Amino acid sequence: MASRRCLQTLTKTTPFLFRNLSSLRSLTIPPFHLAKASSPVFTKPTSVFAQWPHLRYFSSDKQDDHSDEEDYSEEEDYEDDDDDDDVPVSSRKKVYTAEEKEAEADAIGYRVVGPLPKDDDVFKPYEPVFAVVQIGSHQFKVSNRDSIFTERLKFCEVNDKLILNKVLLLGSANQTIIGRPIVPDAAVHAVVEEHALDAKVIIFKKKRRKNYRRTKGHRQELTKLRITDIQGIEKPQVVLTEKPSKPAKKEQEKVAASA
Amino acid sequence: MGQPILSPFGRVVGQSGLTCFMALRGVWQLNKLIVSYCDWGGSSRGIRAFMESHLPAFKEKNPQLEVVTELIRGQHPHLKGFYKNKNQRVICVKNMDPEDIHLHATRLRNALGRKVVKLRTRHVTKHPSVQGTWTTSLEY
Repeated sequence: MASRRCLQTLTKTTPFLFRNLSSLRSLTIPPFHLAKASSPVFTKPTSVFAQWPHLRYFSSDKQDDHSDEEDYSEEEDYEDDDDDDDVPVSSRKKVYTAEEKEAEADAIGYRVVGPLPKDDDVFKPYEPVFAVVQIGSHQFKVSNRDSIFTERLKFCEVNDKLILNKVLLLGSANQTIIGRPIVPDAAVHAVVEEHALDAKVIIFKKKRRKNYRRTKGHRQELTKLRITDIQGIEKPQVVLTEKPSKPAKKEQEKVAASA
Repeated sequence: MGQPILSPFGRVVGQSGLTCFMALRGVWQLNKLIVSYCDWGGSSRGIRAFMESHLPAFKEKNPQLEVVTELIRGQHPHLKGFYKNKNQRVICVKNMDPEDIHLHATRLRNALGRKVVKLRTRHVTKHPSVQGTWTTSLEY
């Protein structure tokens, strides 16, 4: 870095120095003669700089011949950063391949199945079964027909079906399955209801008597999921027939309790 | 027992006592989108470009949505969304890029028509307990 500054100031202020190649050679320090030629090497540049005392002298022992190439690459990087600042935010999106999407979604804890079919079998009546499911870093105890607000899930649209993989606990009226840490072969089906922004929260910072006051507005992006189905546990059978089903119901409860 | 798609939404009392709309269920909530612009003003430049570039694709992607373009001379452009629960959302898009306008239109389409209030709970349920709510006097 010091060498780059040195070269730039030299080229700006004393361009005639660089017109002659011989003078340039006298300025560059040969790389492999550090130990022996330290004293004679230093005398050469000082003699040059004696004529222009206003210029600062930077000595760098590690000055290499290929430092110029590195300096050019550094300059190019800085220019690219400036260009990125000018480019609008909307075109800086990362393009995900299908595999990357699945991998990231899997890491968060869900899987996109596809758009909702028009059969509408999905919205079942309430079943007394619950599951503890994890999405990202948040865990929810869900049941059928619940709705959940999570952080914005990137790879799904509204009206998409999801399967939430990370199920930590399953429970019904007379059975509980505890996962270590997750229950394998358990799935919770959900449908994306909306992608919306939360209400605005104003972040106000103030330091008293220091003339410092900042106001910032923030709206969190949320996704609302409707839980439709929980799989991986035996659900109690609800028989919807008339009176003669009463003894049948009692038998089923006994069977479920014993299981 | 599946419910038909075009059934009217029903009100459900959530855990916190709020009425929440059992909306969607496969039904889109945004009925109509009015794209208002001015053909002379400079603040409508972005929305005019949006109408040429992104709007046809947006219309094709959302056949259930009725998109109307309206000319309002001498005024700033805006997007008006009408929802099934009779709510309106107006977004002023003056001096915006076509990509930003597309983002706002997509946001309107993705949202339910509910009022934007701070969330009370992140988990809205009608049946909070399956195995029975715990009390101090519960005996196993």
